[in-house]
Formats: sequence, C-alpha cells, structure tokens
Amino acid sequence: MLRRTLMASAAALGAAGLLAVPGLAQAQTLTVWATDQLAQPLVAELWNKLKADFEAANPGVTVEYMPPTGTISNGAVQAAIQSNAGPDVLLTNSGIGRVSTVVNAKLIQPLTAHYSDMGWKDKIFPWLYDILSSQFGGEIYEVPDGIDAIGLWYHKDMFAEHGWSIGGSWADFEALLQKIKDAGLEPLAVGPRNGANGGHLMGNFLQAAAGSTVMGEVVSGKKAWTDPEPLLGAERVVDFARKGFISPQMAGLDQEGAMRMWINERAAIFFGGPWFIGNARAGEYPLDNMGFATIPSDIEGESKPTGGIGWSWMIPTSSKQPELAAKWIDFILSDEVMRYRAEHPTGNQISPREMPDIKPVVPVMVDVFAAAAKGVGYNPSVYVPGSATDTYFQVIQGLIGGQVSAADGMAQLQAKMPAP
Amino acid sequence: MTRLTTTADGADLRAPASARRRDGSRDGFGAAFVLMLPAIALYGLFSLTPILFTVWISFTNSGGFNTEASFVGLDNYLRAGDDPIVWQSLGRTFLWLGYHVVLAGGLGLVLALAVSRLSRTRVFFRTAFFLPHLVSLAVVGVIWANIYDPFYGLISTALTQIGLGSWNQGWLSDPLLVLFSVNVASSWQGFGLYMLLFIAGLQNIDQSLYEAAEIDGANSWQKLCNVTLPGLRDVMTFVISLAMINGLKGFATVFVMTNGGPFYASEIITTYIYRLAFQAQDHGLAAVLCILMSLLAIVITVAFNRWRARQAA
Repeated sequence: MLRRTLMASAAALGAAGLLAVPGLAQAQTLTVWATDQLAQPLVAELWNKLKADFEAANPGVTVEYMPPTGTISNGAVQAAIQSNAGPDVLLTNSGIGRVSTVVNAKLIQPLTAHYSDMGWKDKIFPWLYDILSSQFGGEIYEVPDGIDAIGLWYHKDMFAEHGWSIGGSWADFEALLQKIKDAGLEPLAVGPRNGANGGHLMGNFLQAAAGSTVMGEVVSGKKAWTDPEPLLGAERVVDFARKGFISPQMAGLDQEGAMRMWINERAAIFFGGPWFIGNARAGEYPLDNMGFATIPSDIEGESKPTGGIGWSWMIPTSSKQPELAAKWIDFILSDEVMRYRAEHPTGNQISPREMPDIKPVVPVMVDVFAAAAKGVGYNPSVYVPGSATDTYFQVIQGLIGGQVSAADGMAQLQAKMPAP
Repeated sequence: MTRLTTTADGADLRAPASARRRDGSRDGFGAAFVLMLPAIALYGLFSLTPILFTVWISFTNSGGFNTEASFVGLDNYLRAGDDPIVWQSLGRTFLWLGYHVVLAGGLGLVLALAVSRLSRTRVFFRTAFFLPHLVSLAVVGVIWANIYDPFYGLISTALTQIGLGSWNQGWLSDPLLVLFSVNVASSWQGFGLYMLLFIAGLQNIDQSLYEAAEIDGANSWQKLCNVTLPGLRDVMTFVISLAMINGLKGFATVFVMTNGGPFYASEIITTYIYRLAFQAQDHGLAAVLCILMSLLAIVITVAFNRWRARQAA
C-alpha cells in the first residue's frame, strides 16, 4: 500500500515537473526547406545565424533545415508535399507558371490574410504586390524572396585584354561573338539539358528581339509565340547555333556543365542571374573579375535583364506548423534579415522591396542593381503556364541542337498555351 | 502400424466419405483463409487499392491528390491517343527495352561465359563485375553524364589526347545517339545481376555433356552452340523476361542524364508519366499511361514466355 502511494506521488510530481518546464511543454520544431548550398561554409554561416536569431526570438522553437532535393520545376516540391514528406515552409523557384502548378493541385496554402494581418503588403514593392494579387482571383500564395535579373556574365580581364565589350546593336553583338570564336573560345555557354538555363538564354534573346511589352503579352497568352517578334528571337537562336556561337553539343549540357565552361574561361559569356555569383564562388572563381551586362537590342530602351519573381516562400498544405511558418516568413521579411542577407558575402539577390544604402560585398552586384533599376523584362520560364513550360524547355533544346525550326518550335509552344 | 477403421463386426468407424470431404474441405479452407488473411489484406492495401485507384483516376480530370476530380469518361484515353509525344515515347520505350535486353543481357552472358572459365580469379571478377549493380541508378546517371560531357568528359578528353578528337560525338545532344548512350549507362548498372544468373545456370549444366561432345570431336564453338546455350535455355528465358521488365521500368538514368531531351529525343513512357503527374499535375493522362505500361509489361512477358514454351516443346 505504502509502495503504491509513493509511486503514485512520484508520478504526479514528475508530470507536474514536466508541465512546469516551459521549454518542454511548448517545444516546437519548424522544418524549413531553404538553400541547397548549406555545405558551403559561407552559406551555412548565413543560414545558421538566421536559425539562431529566429530561435532566440521564439523560445522553445527549433528550426531544422531540410536539404532540398529539388524545385517545383523538377517536380520535387510536388512529390514531397503529396507524399507528406514536405517541410513546414519552403523556398523554391516560383513565378506564375510554376506557382499555378502547386496552387491548382492544392499543395500550398493561401497567404492573403497574412499580407494584411502581418503587414506583408507593405514589405514588398507595390508593383510586385499588384502582380501577386492579380494572379489567382485576389488570393496570394507566395512571398517573394528576391527578384531575378538575368543577363550576360563575362570575364573582365579577358574582355579588357582583347578590347571586347558588350553593347550597341544586335549586329555589334554578332561581330563580338565572331571575334570570340576566332580567338578559339566558346562564345556562349548554355546548359539547357535541365531546362532552366536554356530558359535564361532564350528569355534574353526574346527580350532583345521583342521587348518587354510584347513579351508580357506573349507569356500571358494575349499574343502568339508565332508572331514575328518572338519568332525573331527563336530564329536568332537557330542562327547562332548554325554560326557556331552556341555549340549544338551544348543541347546535351546541363547548367552545371555550362557554368564549369565559363568558370574555367573556356567560354566567354554565360546567361544567368546574380545567384550565379554563388556558383562562381564555389568554383573558386575570383569574384572581382565577374562582369555583368544586358543583352544588346535594336529596340530602344529594351537592353535590359529578364527576370521576375525568381524564388518565393510558400507554406505547404501539409505543413504541421502553419502559424510558425508564417512567423518565419515575417522574420525573413524584416529589415534586419534583408539587410544582413544583402550585405553578407553570399548576398546575390535583389530584395523584394526598396532597401536604400545597401552596400553589397561583391562589387558586380552594383552593376546588377543598376541594370535592374531600369526595369526587368520577362523570363518566360517563370511566366508561361505549367502546361507549356516543358514544351518551352524542350523547344529551346531543339533550336540549339538543330532538331526543330524556329517556326515549328514556336508553333508547338503556342499549341500548349491555354486559350486566353 | 495400421489405423483401426473398422469394428470387429466390420462396421466402418469413419464418417461417410461425402461428409468427410465436406467437413475436411470446410475446415481446411477456413484455416487457410485465416492464415492468408494478413497477406490478402496487405496485398489489397498496397497493390490492389493503388491499381484500382489508378484506373479510377484515368477516368477523371484529377489535378492532384488534394483536388476534387470529376468523371470525364474516356477523355483521357482519347487525349493519350491524340498526343504525339505518347506515341513517340512509346516507340522509344520499345527501343530502350531492346537496347537493354541486348546490352545488359548480352554483356551478362558474355561475361558469365568468360568468368566461368577462370579458376583462381573467378570470385574476384565475379564480384568486380557485380559491383556496378550495387550503385544507385541516379548516381550512375550523374557519373555517366560527366563521362559523356562533350567538353570535359572522359570520352571527349581521351579521344582528344590520342588525336581522335574529331571522333567525339554529342553523346547526349545527338538525337540519334542519346537513347543508346543513356542505355549504355543503365545497362552497365544492370548487367551484373544477369551475369550472376547465367553463372548459376552454367553451373547446372551436366559436365558429362561436354565430355561426350569432346569425345565426338566438338570444338569450343560447337560446344557453346550445342551444349552451353541449350543448357541455358531456362535461365535465358528468365533473364530476358527480367531484362524486359527492367527495361520497361527504365526511368532514373534518363531522368538524371537527359530529362527526356534534347527535344524529346530520349523521352520514354516512364519519364513522360512523371512529367505529366508531378510537373504538369495532369494525373488523369498520367494514369492512362500507367495502365498502358502495365498492359504492355503483361502482354510482352506472357507472349515471350508462350513463345519460349512453344519452342521448347
């Protein structure tokens, strides 16, 4: 009897003790699918500080980074959420085309309420908010992490040594590429095998040939891909492949392979956004030697980078901590975090709102900011609807590899566009 | 010892035969059913339910597991018929399957014959040739994509080093070469298993048949054609069936190495299913192709086995 009483008392005391420890009672874990470059010390430094700061501001919360295994583009986000193996909050490549895929499949939660109750509406550019709020009948499903600005990356020392420069008309650009080819180098490096990088090149060619107003109408289905302006962009890709400015063998190369060619200075120009700085750093390329330029265009004022919403935060419908996930996004949108990320050595993105007096550590980011300040054109990869994205990427491979003519390729792409 | 089944006056102690049969079969069936129940439940849950669910999805406009799907009749089947990529990928799937049977199965047989002739080094080579089979197909894809890299790859560099740079090809960019190139990688991973099966088959061939052939003056080629290959008939049937099923399941290397490109040149039915289901969220059409692929696997395997049975008879 005495032993039973003692055991019951001990159990009651233990239970009371557990409840009295706030850390144990309220312990929560937030799983975050963020960067895939945590193995890089500098990147790890940044994200680990964010984790520590968030945990300090939210006692009892532990942030766990899940190593992302892909994006919406390659279906990994969809597969992870559908199999209930997804995180509580995720950062993935975005844009209306990709986001539509996960919205239509009801894989991510609407965040519209948080735009008002957490003030996110005032934490992004007004034009960005207008775009987001006009996409799904007023519902917003993503929070932009940064804006992309895709242009041409070149080697400052190589160009200075040969007296080369990027600018002027399309004919000047062709003449430059011919000189590069004559010097025994690959003029343009592109890796369209896994889609995205082919899209970076194609988007720039379309921007140069059609301009952003026309391309805005094309990607939204108001104008046809077979119209003369976008068709010219496709014809120029075929023409450059025929002239050897883009090696047809690159149709079988992926983005990593194309980057490797540029970093080893076997190729002169690579198409990419400021995120490419991270890859160049990983390849031990001297970042001071990176130059950024916009693609020459014969249309007045249209020599500008392409882009749009490159990467966004989303909360899966399978999230076990949706409120905490919203807190995380709010934390990411804070002035302190945005400034810290922008001025960190790995800072390679354009913030989703005006951030005055940012002093980027990597010098070339100043040129990227300047190029983007004139406005950013459309990167079709992130704007075309999900039903047409794959065809877009396959057609680019076909244009580079000589498997499809510009007219046929554009016709196939147009056939996949939904009726306006 | 005999069992007592009759009384002293000859009466049969046993129950009437019909009743015995009835009771016995009932008891036996009940016990068998109870014993099989866990297996039936697991089979129903993990095999039958997904199959039936896939068939149901094929008649709906499902856009994902979280969406409401409505019945659309045969729409998805008609769409599959009208989609040129379905037919292209189907053709390439047959080509892929053929490459796999010939490359992986053929290499497995050749190496089994070679390894079985060895005495002291047999275990070493058997293990060494089997090792690639232990590597994940996705990793194999990454390795071989780098080998095929047209600028920095092993093949390109080696050809350039020996002065044959002009022989270099766009292994993954040439539409006529790409499927074969990817299949080489896939077959490199797969041949080890087939080799082991052939070695097991070779060990079961009666050695006296070789002795008799030698007495008859048969040379090595004649022994191979008249003793070894006929002796491997059953193993070969199994290996070819297995290789065909594995060929139909081909996915990882294509997905990793080419993503179906360039311009659908290496798109096979499985990669197209993945693209439809997880990238375009078109589950209805993807389900139709899953059913098509399953039917193909059944038809090909049954037809091949019947043909082999007829040959053997």
